[in-house]
Amino acid sequence: MVKSTTKDAQDLFHSLRSAYVATPTNLKIIDLYVCFAVFTALIQVAYMALVGSFPFNSFLSGVLSCIGTAVLAVCLRIQVNKENKEFKDLAPERAFADFVLCNLVLHLVIINFLG
Amino acid sequence: MMNLSRSVALISLFLLPLLSFSFSVDNPTDRRVLVLLDDLSLKSSHSIFFNNLKSRGFDLDFKLADDSKLALQRYGQYLFDGLIIFAPSTERLGGSLDSKSIADFVDSGRDLILSADTSASDLIRGIATECGVDFDEDSSAMVIDHTSFSVSDVDGDHTLIAADDLVKSDVILGKAKIEAPVLFRGVAHSLNPTNNLVFKVLSASPSAYSANPSSKLSSPPQLTGSAISLVSVMQARNNARVVISGSLQLFSDRSGVQKAGSQNQYEKSGNEQFVTELSKWVFHERGHLKAGSLVHHRVGETDEPAIYRIKDDLEFSVEIYEWSGKSWEPYVANDVQVQFYMMSPYVLKTLSADKKGLFHTSFKVPDVYGVFQFKVEYEKLGYTTLSLSKQIPVRPYRHNEYERFIPTAYPYYGACFTTMAGFFVFSFVYLYHK
Repeated sequence: MVKSTTKDAQDLFHSLRSAYVATPTNLKIIDLYVCFAVFTALIQVAYMALVGSFPFNSFLSGVLSCIGTAVLAVCLRIQVNKENKEFKDLAPERAFADFVLCNLVLHLVIINFLG
Repeated sequence: MMNLSRSVALISLFLLPLLSFSFSVDNPTDRRVLVLLDDLSLKSSHSIFFNNLKSRGFDLDFKLADDSKLALQRYGQYLFDGLIIFAPSTERLGGSLDSKSIADFVDSGRDLILSADTSASDLIRGIATECGVDFDEDSSAMVIDHTSFSVSDVDGDHTLIAADDLVKSDVILGKAKIEAPVLFRGVAHSLNPTNNLVFKVLSASPSAYSANPSSKLSSPPQLTGSAISLVSVMQARNNARVVISGSLQLFSDRSGVQKAGSQNQYEKSGNEQFVTELSKWVFHERGHLKAGSLVHHRVGETDEPAIYRIKDDLEFSVEIYEWSGKSWEPYVANDVQVQFYMMSPYVLKTLSADKKGLFHTSFKVPDVYGVFQFKVEYEKLGYTTLSLSKQIPVRPYRHNEYERFIPTAYPYYGACFTTMAGFFVFSFVYLYHK
């Protein structure tokens, strides 16, 4: 039983990897951007755990900018993905325009709250 | 006729400034004192005391206690600044005086010396109770002390006691130490324990008790030891001063005392010095303080702001003067404190004095906002109470007064700008990749 679970895990991993390679390039670019944003947020949380939360508003502002832009990128990915039946009629340019405007508003708020 | 009335008017015009001889805020020593006696021979038996008062500038008005023309006020104005009642056996005071009018007299800020003796009447006891002093209920009781009596006691019943348990206060008893014991022969009194304005100036020794000297003791005496006060003093909240003594002989001219069991024989008893210094205190020649207004401002400025911000540095100062009997001298002490108070003191600092009577300190406004008060509450034994306060609001930071560019937060600033740059690069790459 033990051997089969490790073999199952390996098979699962390989099938996921091969499926992922098949995704279109623009979705992979979005995924890369999301990973970068989340990684930056994790670095900030680790820093706060080390130093303490003194300028708490700055901490919140930094983390929110990363998480917010990651969330917006995920929304863009959902809307742009051709396999998604729900957004079949939505033009990908419209989705990208929404993404850009929301990001502009987000970063305006972040800079104001940064202190 | 016209000439006469005109000249009378002119003369009264000249006399008008002389009529304003009473104590005032600028000159707090009393001037005119009414002395009530129940026996005019007291004028000669207590001549040293009265002559001493007259030589210090007091206007003494001697009257019998049941004189029907007695009046403290006329047309709503008080005629006297001080009252001395040396009439222990008077049942009713004459004229318009009674215990209520005497209580009103003290309530108006004027001073009183009251002396009881072996036959104290109910009227005198009543006046004393108003001031927080309770005389022994037994009207025939006297203070007896078998170890601290005076050797010159002729009756031999040890009722003439030589007391030296004086209160330690330079302002009440003067700087010079009273070396000789004070002779006392009279009734005992105790202080009401709930009254915190009255205190003992001369207390009996622990071996004293209050009982009838001519009869056998049937039960243990109620008043004993140091609970017996011989001379007490009260300073009311309006700074009126009252001295209550259990013996009229304390004020009389007497000399020569030797305390039983001690080697020292003094030619002069301490009575004269004691009553002189006490009368200086009670008639506001000493120990009367006056404070100027409270001044506060931010460090580096001179104007008083209308509102402070939290964590401001401010400086506070107040001027306090002491009346020396003739002029206002700067007051020097190291225990005047200021509180920065809102429901409870957030800051309590002792003010440092310079030689000119200016007390000052500086501190940081606490990190709490609201409406505060600068409070100076000074209650020292024997001095007038100072109760000053000034209100000032404290506000939090304005939105542009917070710290900016905090070094600890540089990683967060960096993260935000990196994210913005990443977004910019991403949108280019997303749009133009092939």
